[in-house]
Amino acid sequence: MMQKTILIGGEAGLGTAVTSHLIGKIFCSLGYYVFNYRDYPSLIRGGHNFNVLRISDKPIHSHEEKYDIILALDQKTADIHEKDLNKGGFVFGVKETEPVLQKLQGPKILANDVLIGLLFKYFGVDLKVVMSAAEKEFGQKSKLIKQAIEEGYGLTDVKEKLEKVDKEKYFISGNEAIGIGSIAGNVDIHLAYPMTPASPVLHFLAKNQLENNILVFQPENEIAVINAALGASFTGAKVLVGTSGGGFALMTEAVSLAGMAELPIVIYLAQRTAPSTGVPTYTAQGDLKFALNAGHGEFARIVVAPGDPQEAIIRTQEAFYLTCKYRTPAIILGDKHLGESNYTFDELKKSQLAGVSHPVDRANSYEHSENGHTVEDAESVARGQEKRLSKMPLIEKEIQKLNPVAVYGKGNNLIVSHGSTKGAILDALPELPDFRFLQISYLSPFPREQVSDEIKKSQKVILVENSATGALADFIAEQTGLIIKNKVLKYDGRPFTPDYLIKNIVI
Amino acid sequence: MDLEKLKTNEIITWCPGCLNFGILQAVKEAIAELNIAGSTAMVTGIGCHAKIYDYLNLKGFYGIHGRVLPIAFGIKLGNPDLKVIGFGGDGDTYAEGMEHFVHNCRYNTDITMMVHNNQVFSLTTGQFTPTTEKGFKDGSSPLGLAESPINPLVLAMEAGATFVARAYALEVSHLKDLMKRAINHKGFSFIDILQPCIVYHKYSVPYLNKNVYKLDNTHDASNFNKALEKAREWDYSYEKDTKVPIGLFYETKRPAFESQWPQLKRPWYNIKREVNWHNVINKFK
Repeated sequence: MMQKTILIGGEAGLGTAVTSHLIGKIFCSLGYYVFNYRDYPSLIRGGHNFNVLRISDKPIHSHEEKYDIILALDQKTADIHEKDLNKGGFVFGVKETEPVLQKLQGPKILANDVLIGLLFKYFGVDLKVVMSAAEKEFGQKSKLIKQAIEEGYGLTDVKEKLEKVDKEKYFISGNEAIGIGSIAGNVDIHLAYPMTPASPVLHFLAKNQLENNILVFQPENEIAVINAALGASFTGAKVLVGTSGGGFALMTEAVSLAGMAELPIVIYLAQRTAPSTGVPTYTAQGDLKFALNAGHGEFARIVVAPGDPQEAIIRTQEAFYLTCKYRTPAIILGDKHLGESNYTFDELKKSQLAGVSHPVDRANSYEHSENGHTVEDAESVARGQEKRLSKMPLIEKEIQKLNPVAVYGKGNNLIVSHGSTKGAILDALPELPDFRFLQISYLSPFPREQVSDEIKKSQKVILVENSATGALADFIAEQTGLIIKNKVLKYDGRPFTPDYLIKNIVI
Repeated sequence: MDLEKLKTNEIITWCPGCLNFGILQAVKEAIAELNIAGSTAMVTGIGCHAKIYDYLNLKGFYGIHGRVLPIAFGIKLGNPDLKVIGFGGDGDTYAEGMEHFVHNCRYNTDITMMVHNNQVFSLTTGQFTPTTEKGFKDGSSPLGLAESPINPLVLAMEAGATFVARAYALEVSHLKDLMKRAINHKGFSFIDILQPCIVYHKYSVPYLNKNVYKLDNTHDASNFNKALEKAREWDYSYEKDTKVPIGLFYETKRPAFESQWPQLKRPWYNIKREVNWHNVINKFK
C-alpha cells in the first residue's frame, strides 16, 4: 500500500492553498485517493498557513499530523513542522527554491511552482502532466510559472516512481458539494452575507450562476438575507442561504417566521470554533443544539449533518426536497472541516430528489387561519400549532427512506458521532478494538429507534464530537433516554485525526 | 375595477377615527384605478399599520417587525413580474429596519415603500420612535426625549432613492395620486405618510391640519438640491408652527436593481430545470 503525507506551508499570500489543491488534483488524475486539510489563521498576508495532503492508493478520508514530506514555502514552515517528520521524511524548502528565484528574478510566490516541479520529478510524474494541470489550476499560461516548474523539475532525479494506479478521481470540497447539491436540488436563488467558512458556497454559486440560471446576491446583512429569502420563497422560488454561527444567530427570528408562515428554505450552517467571533477559520461541532433549537416558539424543522462531500450533495438535495414538501425550514449542519477540506471519490452521485415548491397568496407571521388571515381565538391558535407540528411525524416517517443513520464496521463496542468526524473515524476504525461506528445523519427528526437499538446492543459506547460538551450525547438522552458516559471530545479548533482517535478511544 | 373586490371580511380593529382608514381607502382606490390587484403583492411589518394586511384582498406577506423591505426585495427577486408594495411603520422602518431602508434606497429595486408615520409606537402603547419630536414624554422616556428626530425624506434622498414623497393621511385623494405615481415609478419609490396617532400623538392632527400644504408645479422634483431644501422645511417637530410640504419632492431615473441581472429576464418559473450532472461534476476532475 502506498501512503504519503505531505505538508505544504508558508505565510499567507504565498499560495499554500492553491499549491496543495493542485498537487492533490495531479495525484487524483493518476488515480490516487487524496485528502486535503487546510489550516490557516484569520489574516490575509503573513502568518503561517499550511495544508496537509494525505495520498494513498486505497480510499482515505482524513489527514494525519506526521509528515513524509514538507514543502516549505518559507523557513518558518520548516522550523515549525520539522519535528513532525516521519522517519526518513525530508523537507524541500528555501534551500531549493531560493537559488531558482534568484536566477529567474521572479516574485516570491514562484517558490510554490519550483516545489511542485521538484515534488513530481521526485515521484517520476511526467512534466507534461504537471504543466497542463498547473495551467488549468492557475487559469493562465504564465511563462514565469512554467519556467519555475521546469527549474524545480530539474533539481532532483526520480527517487520513487509513482505509476498511474487507477482511473482519474473526483477531488471536491464539502462547500463545493453543497453548491452542486443545491443545483441538483433545484435551487433558484442563493443569498448570503460573507462569513467563513460558508462563503465558498457563495463564491461557487456566484461563479456558476449564469450557467445554471440561478440568482446569487449578497444583501446588506444576514437578517436581510433570510427575510429576502423568505420573500422569494413566498413566490415559489427555491432558496438557499448560507452562514456560520454569528450570522445564523442574526437569522433566528426569521427561522421562526419560516416555521410559522410555512415557507420552504434551506439554511447551510457551517460551524466554526467557540462562541462569538471565536476562531473563525477553524472547525467545531459546537452549534448542534443551536441548530436544533434556534428560533422562538415550537415548529417542525429538518436538521441534517452530512459526513463528507458525497453525502453533502445528497443531503442538500434532500433538504430542498423536504423543505418544499413539508414547508418548514431545513438546516444543513456542516463545519469548516467538511466545507473546506478536499475529498476524493471514484464517482459523484446525485439523488433523484429535488425541491418542488409553489407560490402562495398569503404568508403570515401572526397565527392565522387556513386562508392566511390573522386569528387570536383559542381554538384557531391551537389548530395552527397542531397543524405545523403535525409535520414532524410525517417527516420522521419520510426520512426512514433516506438512510438517517449508517453503521460501519463490526464489533461489540460503538462509536457514535455526526458530521465531519466521519472521515477520521472511518480511517481509525480498523485499528480500534472491536468497534463499530454509528453515524447519525438526521438529527431532526431524530431516528430514535435505530439509535436506541444500536446503543442497546453495544457493550461500550463512546461519543466522538468536535465540541467541548458533547451535545449529541445530551440530545440522544433527550430522545431515547439512554445515557452515553464516555466521550472523546476535541475543542481546540482542529479536527480529529485517526491517530488521535486510536490513542483516545480505549476499552 | 370594483373597490368592493379589494375588501376582505376581516373585522377592522384600528381605533375608531384612526387615520389608517384614510390610507386604506387611498390604497384601494389607487390599486383599483391602476387595475393591478391581480399582479400586486403587499408586505407589512408589525404595528398598527400592518393590520392593513388583513383588510386588503391582495397577495400578501405579513412579515416581522423591521423586515418589510428585505421581504419585499425578495419577492421582487422571486417574481419580477409582481408589483410589490411595502407598508411599514415609522418604528418598523426607521428603528428596527433602518439598515434595510438605507440599502433599499441604494439598490433601487422596483418596489414601493409606504411608511405610516405616526411618530410613535402605538400598538405597544405609545413609546417614542426615530421620528418622534424632542421633549416627548411617555412610558419609556418619562424624563422627556433628548434626541431630535431624523428626517426620512432627506435620508432617502441621500441614500439614493429615486422617488421620494410625503403625504398626509387626511388628504386621501392627494395620497391616492401619489401612490399611483409611486407604483408606476420604475425603481425604489418611497412615501412618508403622516398618519398622526389619535391616541398617543393626537396633537399632530391640528398642527398638520393648520400647516400642511401641497407642493405645486413651481417645485422642480428633478432638482436634487431644491428637493433636499424642501424636505428640510419641516423637521418633524412641534415647537413652533412651520409649514409642512406634502407631495412629490424628488424623482429621478436610474436602472432598477432587477433590470441589471440577466437571469431575471428569464426567471426561474419560466424555465424547466434540467441538471446536466456530467457537466456539473466534470469541474472536479
